[in-house]
Amino acid sequence: MTSLTRRTLLKTGAGAALAATLPMPALLAAEPIKIGVVQPFSGGLELFGGQAKIGLDLAAAEINAAGGILGRNVELIYEDDKTDPKTAVERTTSLIRRDKVIAVSGPITSNNRDAMMPTLSRAKVPLLYATNYEGGGCDRYLFSFNTVPNQELEKLLPIMKDQAGSSFYLFGADYVWPQKMFETATTIIGGIGGTVAGKEFTPFGVKDFAPVIRRIQDSGAKVLVFALPGADGITFIRQAEELGLLKTVKVAFLGFGELYLGAFGAGKAQDMWVALPFTQAIQTDAAKEFVAKVRKQSGADTPVSQYVFTHYVSLIAAKAAFEKSGAIDSEALVNGLEGIVVDSPTGKVTVGKDHHVTLEMFTAKTEGDGMVVVDDLGQIAPKSGCA
Amino acid sequence: MERLAIVLLDSSNAVLVLMLVSLGLAIIFGLMNVINMAHGEFLMLGCYALLALTEAGLPFFLALALAPFIVAGIGLVAEELLIRRTYARLLDTILATWGLSLFLRQGMVLLYGPGSHAVAVPDVGSVDLFGTPYPVYRLIVMAISIVTIIATFYVFFRTRFGLAARAVIANRTMASCLGIDTRRLDRITFAFGSGLAGLAGAAMAPLISIDPNAGLGWMVPAFLSILVGGLGTISGPLAGAAGVGAVDSLTAAFTSPVWAQLVVFTAAILVIRLFPNGLVSRAKREA
Repeated sequence: MTSLTRRTLLKTGAGAALAATLPMPALLAAEPIKIGVVQPFSGGLELFGGQAKIGLDLAAAEINAAGGILGRNVELIYEDDKTDPKTAVERTTSLIRRDKVIAVSGPITSNNRDAMMPTLSRAKVPLLYATNYEGGGCDRYLFSFNTVPNQELEKLLPIMKDQAGSSFYLFGADYVWPQKMFETATTIIGGIGGTVAGKEFTPFGVKDFAPVIRRIQDSGAKVLVFALPGADGITFIRQAEELGLLKTVKVAFLGFGELYLGAFGAGKAQDMWVALPFTQAIQTDAAKEFVAKVRKQSGADTPVSQYVFTHYVSLIAAKAAFEKSGAIDSEALVNGLEGIVVDSPTGKVTVGKDHHVTLEMFTAKTEGDGMVVVDDLGQIAPKSGCA
Repeated sequence: MERLAIVLLDSSNAVLVLMLVSLGLAIIFGLMNVINMAHGEFLMLGCYALLALTEAGLPFFLALALAPFIVAGIGLVAEELLIRRTYARLLDTILATWGLSLFLRQGMVLLYGPGSHAVAVPDVGSVDLFGTPYPVYRLIVMAISIVTIIATFYVFFRTRFGLAARAVIANRTMASCLGIDTRRLDRITFAFGSGLAGLAGAAMAPLISIDPNAGLGWMVPAFLSILVGGLGTISGPLAGAAGVGAVDSLTAAFTSPVWAQLVVFTAAILVIRLFPNGLVSRAKREA
């Protein structure tokens, strides 16, 4: 216990006097709506974290320029989860406790999301998750703004069958997303009269894929459904090209996007297919305008992938949800989001009662140095696995 | 039969690449007692050196020949500034080189960004082997590995430098007493080992994703090769690399990459249990 001296008395007194002269109610009214963002800005997936940030920054800038939400500005508080679940939980806890955020946006990986969810659920703070994932994340405080397996696969696989043949080989990384993707894929392939010639997984960090590539060649498969993200996926495709596999199979590269462009070398890895909710190659006016807005803010060379788009949409939906509820707190956000429909650069996005979104989907393929859109698949509803 | 021949060829390729990767690590570890956690990053630097040189307009094979010298130069600087201060403190070398690896990786993120880059496979075509078109570049990588291994043996067993180097491995203090300049030897050895990592990286660059984490995947198999093969010789780690590479590649060929990892680790644990000094252990004289 320190005794009260004249000096401290003077200080506190002066402080109190100064504070009293400030217009307190005005300060309170201008207090921003804090939304925490837990994304990887280091540790391996920084490209994805960077794309998420671009989308969120753009949405926040637009919202604030238009007068904020119910008169209050949005403030994004960024935290780096280092692509690591333990760090993700620590950052989430500090955002909730110290920063008193109303909602959290992020992360990228399922590992990190699963690690963060109990903390968020307990604190009753909603998570706005905008990465395509395996489905089955059912929680009052979890909202998914990207696709689940059926949305990517149910139209893509029949197209692949028509294009290349009815024999499919499934190859991906050995973790939950590829496993669940392939479960859904197997069901769909069975339903369209195709066959699964083989299904296998690989650990991360493998540098020589020759054994797998030979096995796929020997299987006689016509379509490779491929779910090995990141650098390992690039290594596989480069070796598949070198060993001649890409001449005999057509690749459906799940999760492909702008972030991979340029990683294969000029003129390589052509005609790989993907179904996705957004690509910078969409030629509609609204999509082109969105890409232009992003590049105006983040630089002319910025790749604008689906992750920019989905994170942007998640914040726009949050604004609409607050306005629908007429209040700004976590419960108002959750209640407001359920069933809400918002306009996006590709068409309407509907948040279902199961907290997953119905949105416009597109098929695209690699061509030249970039991607081209093949078809607009229309609105596809999620089979989230939640009642 | 032809299928088996191709599998064996693929497997030899994997073995020779792993030998090339392990060689530099073995020399630095065996000769200098430095557990070099940054070996993978020197490999990654080899990839980027090749990338930079080809982007500067150099023909691929000239760039491939120069890249190891660039990495060796970086190794020399690292030795002078950092590594030499940690000699004789084995555990500290782990910490210091781990720090170095973080520094190099983050440095590449700052220079080239976190994304992947590509160097085109040189246009050398493919030849028909056992009825299957086999990329010539893979054969070239195998040849590079064999030539490098032979050259390394030549340096260590047929030159004055090699004699001095082996004297230092056998007994550092005594070698120093006999007038061998161990300081100079350390410097050259570290640069040589780094250069070998750089060569491995540059040779593999057209076949993998070039990114700041490119070296990580090699570290575990390379260290495993050394543990399995035994320290203190050059042939030990090479035998280890042959074992690890062949078991990994053949298991992956006949089952799956997931099983391959399991089998490799189980086999390695068994070997280390049964031959604690490694498959090829140097005959030790009683002190």
